[in-house]
Amino acid sequence: MQNRSCDLMYPDPDRPRSIGVVDVIVVAALIGFVIYTWKNISSVLAYKWSWGFLPKVLFLKNESTGWWQPNLLLEGFLTTIRLSIWAMILACLLGVVLGVMATFNRLLPKLVAFTYVGLIRNIPPLVFVFIFYFFISSQIVPALGIDTWARELGPSGKNTMNWLLGPPTLIENLISGVLCLAMFEAAYIAEITRAGVQSVPGGQHEAAASIGLSKLQSFRHVVLPQALQAVIPPLSNQFIMLIKNSAIVSLISIQELTFTGTEIAVSTGRRFETWIVVALMYFVLCYGLARLFNRIERRQLRRRGY
Amino acid sequence: MKLINRLIAVTAVALSTASTPLLAAEPAIDEIQKRGSIRVGMSTFVPWAMRDKNGELIGFEIDVAKQLAKDMDVAVEFIPTAWDGIIPALLAGKFDVIIGGMSITEERSKTVDFTVPYAHSSLGVMANKEVAESLSWPDDYNSTDVTFVCRRGATPCNYIQTEFPKAQLRQFDDQGQTLQEVLNGNAHAMISSQPLPAHTIFDNPEIVFSPTEEKIDPGNEAFALRKDDTDSLEYFSNWINQNTENGFLDERHQYWFGGRSWANQLAE
Repeated sequence: MQNRSCDLMYPDPDRPRSIGVVDVIVVAALIGFVIYTWKNISSVLAYKWSWGFLPKVLFLKNESTGWWQPNLLLEGFLTTIRLSIWAMILACLLGVVLGVMATFNRLLPKLVAFTYVGLIRNIPPLVFVFIFYFFISSQIVPALGIDTWARELGPSGKNTMNWLLGPPTLIENLISGVLCLAMFEAAYIAEITRAGVQSVPGGQHEAAASIGLSKLQSFRHVVLPQALQAVIPPLSNQFIMLIKNSAIVSLISIQELTFTGTEIAVSTGRRFETWIVVALMYFVLCYGLARLFNRIERRQLRRRGY
Repeated sequence: MKLINRLIAVTAVALSTASTPLLAAEPAIDEIQKRGSIRVGMSTFVPWAMRDKNGELIGFEIDVAKQLAKDMDVAVEFIPTAWDGIIPALLAGKFDVIIGGMSITEERSKTVDFTVPYAHSSLGVMANKEVAESLSWPDDYNSTDVTFVCRRGATPCNYIQTEFPKAQLRQFDDQGQTLQEVLNGNAHAMISSQPLPAHTIFDNPEIVFSPTEEKIDPGNEAFALRKDDTDSLEYFSNWINQNTENGFLDERHQYWFGGRSWANQLAE
């Protein structure tokens, strides 16, 4: 850890700041390229641009209360956030358990973890979503009785549910989507966790055992904290992948950002404008998450005394 | 313990339903009455179903489904679904019926049952002026130099394959992409159900044109139901026959397909 700026995705704030000749040339070339592409776009793309529809698909004035509320596109954005957060939590729980199981010496837990990871990691996400949704979740989710439960909630309960999971009539669908994403991502998180646990040097186990800690104590107080620190960068990467992968579940009618984007693009005929805005929204979400993880990482480095 | 019990219950249900065909027992109309609402699977497609300024669904089949629900005295729930997954979703019981401008084809009849048709739409062609103006319809289009585009899984793709076997065919998931390929001149022509090609030609008369005025391959659109549900099939077919006779379907079709007086309801 000699050179700190190499460890972080974002550079040291105290680095020297001076602009050299090369920097100027590179930036000028880049700006020139962007302007050239923009000017020439009309020669390959027969398209009439118009952005007037955008505020209307983002916000909607509620006639009865006079308040502005999210319209279709923003609603899709919120659904993507809900979907991602729930899927992240579930994927983490399942992934960490499987990852730890993979480091056991006993055969059964090891076999379970490796089978799960091997099975899911080697199927394309789209195929997995299709199979899981139609064969498995369409039997399990209705059997849980969530749909009837959500329909019978009181007004305050419905409000909370609306915040946490979106409109009650679509809950069953959202849950299928969350399960799908979580199960898929858990395979990758399991591998990351396994790598983290195995990266803790054997001396640490021995040291813990020599001061009389039991196996569980040594794992809980010595190995796991170090492993978690090691996996933060790959984990943040995986979470960003999860947000982007959430677009795949639009195939199974979950009304998230990509799905509502398609509906708006088809209804208004404003295809490129819609997709540019959708791309921006994904970027904001993923970049925000990357920054958040970067802060956590930096705080941990500081705590370790770097 | 509670959780474990629940898990066991879920697994038991999953296993028992896995061995028997899912949801085959009860006719859809009985389920609809019991639930008090009809679940309709559809896909966004101008002017069959689309989103207005308030994010609400409007369009020809939205009117049809609403009227149907009113006559059945139940509420209506629309389940917007990706076109690729609409038949599997019906079979998996995600909704009771597809009212989605679905044309009757032999291929589809193998997996779903169709009612009598409630609409008859024909296909339209849109070609790019720059690359296709000199070609004469339909003979010149049947050549390896010509590229057609269509929406994946839609009936025009089959039509192109049988009528223009020599031409290249490229398929897209989204109707917007097929339109754009022709507008850009990357493809010579696209075929889709009317009035989409007509509207696009109206909006971009300097770029695209229609190489033919004849009605192509008039189709029959019908409700689609899960197989072997004769009670529901008869019920819906009767409803369609009734509303064809009293002129409701014709009047609505004329409103949505005859012009664009509804265009100001969209966020354009």
